[in-house]
Amino acid sequence: MESSASAVMPGTPSTRTNYDDQIVKMFFTATVVWGIVGMLVGVIIALQLAWWPANLGLPWTSFGRLRPLHTNAVIFAFAGNVCFLGIYHSMQRLLKTRMWNDTLSRIHFWGWQAIIVSAALTLPLGLTQSKEYAELIWPIDVAITVVWVVFAVNFFATIAIRKVSHLYVAIWFYMSFVITIAVLHIVNSLAIPVTATLSYPLYSGLTDALVQWWYGHNAVGFFLTTPFLGLMYYYLPRAADRPVYSYRLSIIHFWALVFLYIWAGPHHLLYSALPEWAQTLGMVFSIMLLAPSWGGMLNGLLTLRGAWDRVRTDPILKMMVVAVSFYGMSTFEGPMMSIRAVNGLAHYTNWVIGHVHSGALGWVGMISFAILYWLAPRLWNRELAHPKWVDAHFWLATIGIVIYTVAMWAAGLMEGLQWRAINDLGQLANPSFVDITARLQPFLWLRLLGGTMYLVGVIMMGINFWQTIRGPGKPSETAPATAAA
Amino acid sequence: MSRDTNRLLGHADEADGIEEYDNPLPDWWLGLFWLTILWSIGYVAWFALTNQSQVGWYEDEVAAADERWPEQANAAVQFAYSAEAAAAGAEIYATNCLVCHGENLEGGIGVSFIDDEWIHGGQAEEVVAIIRNGELSRGMPAWGQILSPEQVNQVASYILEGHAAATGRTMEEIMAPPAEDGPGA
Repeated sequence: MESSASAVMPGTPSTRTNYDDQIVKMFFTATVVWGIVGMLVGVIIALQLAWWPANLGLPWTSFGRLRPLHTNAVIFAFAGNVCFLGIYHSMQRLLKTRMWNDTLSRIHFWGWQAIIVSAALTLPLGLTQSKEYAELIWPIDVAITVVWVVFAVNFFATIAIRKVSHLYVAIWFYMSFVITIAVLHIVNSLAIPVTATLSYPLYSGLTDALVQWWYGHNAVGFFLTTPFLGLMYYYLPRAADRPVYSYRLSIIHFWALVFLYIWAGPHHLLYSALPEWAQTLGMVFSIMLLAPSWGGMLNGLLTLRGAWDRVRTDPILKMMVVAVSFYGMSTFEGPMMSIRAVNGLAHYTNWVIGHVHSGALGWVGMISFAILYWLAPRLWNRELAHPKWVDAHFWLATIGIVIYTVAMWAAGLMEGLQWRAINDLGQLANPSFVDITARLQPFLWLRLLGGTMYLVGVIMMGINFWQTIRGPGKPSETAPATAAA
Repeated sequence: MSRDTNRLLGHADEADGIEEYDNPLPDWWLGLFWLTILWSIGYVAWFALTNQSQVGWYEDEVAAADERWPEQANAAVQFAYSAEAAAAGAEIYATNCLVCHGENLEGGIGVSFIDDEWIHGGQAEEVVAIIRNGELSRGMPAWGQILSPEQVNQVASYILEGHAAATGRTMEEIMAPPAEDGPGA
């Protein structure tokens, strides 16, 4: 392998190993389907907040039940399947080996999709553990653990049988994802089952809150950040056909990121009953996360040196630039919001929703779309059915994110300032909470507009892929044939 | 970034064709990292060594507010009934209290004022205290944070006037100080 590998030029995938691309196609399809479903539910609940009759007066369709359905669908179904498709595709090539066991890959795929379907059934029925981003009831939690262990065994066995000695940086990020999510999920979900659908958490009160936000914060860190940085480190240099800017930066920012991230959870509990020293630690670890996070953005943007002329014309590179920029923006905003004084203003307002979505729509969504558009012609060996739609999708998504985020910033600032405003007599200037809530409405409609634009782009992407895969299509000229099973 | 070598490490054959440069860390990036670390150490030291606390900050704010608005700090603003105050209280009642306590003081979500049952006592002093301080466990807000002491007295006058008219208690009875052994039956 050593001698033949040296002939491989940058930008040319190795074609010598018999890779399992079928599993990549399966996760690809699931990603697009769940992406549309999850974001559609997001638009529906955005409508419900702006216009309450959209709750339909039914418990199963009320905001309280659909909101966790939205978050679970976009995080664990959409983003999760993106991670899996990208990992199964890139790790086989980076390690020059087929996955260790195809059966485990398929158990992982079907198990994960069954978990998503069971979530989509139980959450609207009101079956929940009431822990944010960990709402699923205990039997589903057990299933997640089993499926994750299957994935982890296959993942590490594949690393063990690799045909390269050097582990590329993307693999380190994938490892942090596989290990940390297992630990987070198991520890936060420990509970005593009472019936088939009811359990009580092992922790109570403040301990429960701390464990929950240790989990919640690191779900963002190790489900929506580190695996996607790994994907960026593989797909961005491949799409740009440029060397990664700095190997050293990738090492330093990886270790700094994974070490610091895990301590920052208490910034969700500022001004709570949590002991103040623990709140202080959560805050300063969040501040120290700024540079390690920006290390990823820098390495992404500086890798594009020498390719900026193509960024102007190639919608895939444009999506990657916007994704990495939003990553940098939201990882600046996050540490700022963890400062006590800022948090006192921002916490519990729509600013938090804006912050989350600049990361979710801007970073996770955009880098995912870029990867999907880059992969589809190569996986199915076809030209995209509608290449110009990719540019339209880029603009719909970018403008949609800006409208969404700016509306939520404005709404959040308004709430934060009006809640605390005091008049000349020392009384609350806005004593009625409901009055302030009513003033949110124009911003909620704007958010619905931004979210709808984003959803339209994703639906266009789905149609584009459908017609690419199912339509007549001509053999691709740009993508060399990868040897599928 | 001027120290960039742009020297390839040469392990692209081990990374599916992806090359990596051996560039140093950008100086400003490293500076930013050190700055946040030093700032964090400084913040923790300041918080611990100067006895900072969120409870303390809150108490400081309350003390500053009490100094600026001494009238509100004085919880014992004397309640005095007058027909003018009751008339002014009608509008305050309609805006803030009616939703729970009913259009004609008959109650609903909140208690009725036109019977002789009181949870926290039916003497004027006790009624004013509940209006001012609330009873959060039963859903009654602390209106002293929202209404001025004068407004609290006005709405109390309105309520007690209506109570007196409905039950036949005289205003003298109502204004009498509460019994020593706690709220009356």
